[in-house]
Amino acid sequence: MTVLPYAVAAWLFGAGLYGIATSRNFIHLVGCLGICQSATYVLLLGLGYRWGGIAPIFYNHPPGTPAVDPVMQALVLTDIVVGATLTALLLVLTIQVHKRGGSLDPETLRPMRGTGTSVTAQGSQDRTGAGSERSAS
Amino acid sequence: MTPRLRIGLLALAGLALLPGTAAVTAGLPAFGATIAEYGARINAIAPGERHVANMVSAINFDLRGLDTLGEEFMLLAAITGTVVLLRGRRGEGITERAMRRPGRAVIPRSDAVVLACRIAGPLTALFGLYVVVHATVTPGGGFQGGVILATATLLIYLGEGYAGWRDAVRSHWLDAMEGGGALLFTFCGLVPMLFGAAFMQNILPLGTFRDLFSGGLMLVENLGVGMAVAGGFTQLFLEFMEETREADQPDEPGEETA
Repeated sequence: MTVLPYAVAAWLFGAGLYGIATSRNFIHLVGCLGICQSATYVLLLGLGYRWGGIAPIFYNHPPGTPAVDPVMQALVLTDIVVGATLTALLLVLTIQVHKRGGSLDPETLRPMRGTGTSVTAQGSQDRTGAGSERSAS
Repeated sequence: MTPRLRIGLLALAGLALLPGTAAVTAGLPAFGATIAEYGARINAIAPGERHVANMVSAINFDLRGLDTLGEEFMLLAAITGTVVLLRGRRGEGITERAMRRPGRAVIPRSDAVVLACRIAGPLTALFGLYVVVHATVTPGGGFQGGVILATATLLIYLGEGYAGWRDAVRSHWLDAMEGGGALLFTFCGLVPMLFGAAFMQNILPLGTFRDLFSGGLMLVENLGVGMAVAGGFTQLFLEFMEETREADQPDEPGEETA
């Protein structure tokens, strides 16, 4: 059972990567990226673990008690903070994509171009289309 | 690109990475046998040298404090980018008051929800503050406590509705908290240099081990980070909520619960 944490990390990463590759929706894609990232949490915590070690907090245990690796835990903390803000940033980009293209499916979206006339015309069309949809609902 | 082609490319990339992955996996230490020397040294030395019980805080705010400063500014940059992108179409003109879209139904809240939030909100805020200031003693710290504080403001939203939430939480205060927290953290690095010490050297008295006042400079740094995280995450929520409001449609002031 000693390979279980690494196997879980690999499985999570693989599942997330498969989701990213086959994603048909950007929100789903951001979720898959989060799953890939949770694989790194498991891997880091697994690397820093020691059998019988306490958490690296010497409050109830005197300093010198065998503890797990605090560096890995600090890295996971950094990882989580970065992940949370990055998810917010990606979701905002998703909102922008939906505003411009009217869709979240990477298959149907056209590549973005500069501020050409055709793109703005299409964008405003989509916007009015989305607006009428909203008012209908 | 067809889905089948995508899977094919992914499989191909996976195959190309397979030898390297196998080599690294074979070289990993056996799970749970030992920990890296750096972490073991920190566990052995830091409690005596810095008078802190929480090794994770000792790493984040003292031994590798410079890295956390970078992380703090990455957080600031990501939140600023999010806010800029969200405000891009709405423009700079932000209102202090909650607006409501005409025609949207105002759904009343049940008394049970309001009561639960009014009880839980202050307690959550208190707990968040506790987690922030006890960073060097017990599990927690500025990042964790800051997120708990941001959760406490969300409980105001859940209990009082959007208008009540906007009355209690001012956008400018959030900006000030976010930027001021990061500034406080930076000053924690710069002020020791005025006294001839190195950048972010722990010049404050280290205090008593297992006491609230321990770790010297780390307490101040955690306060800064807690402020920045609480302000930043609440700001994110505010900007996402404002996004549900259509900028090109006339708004009317009033109670907004959606």
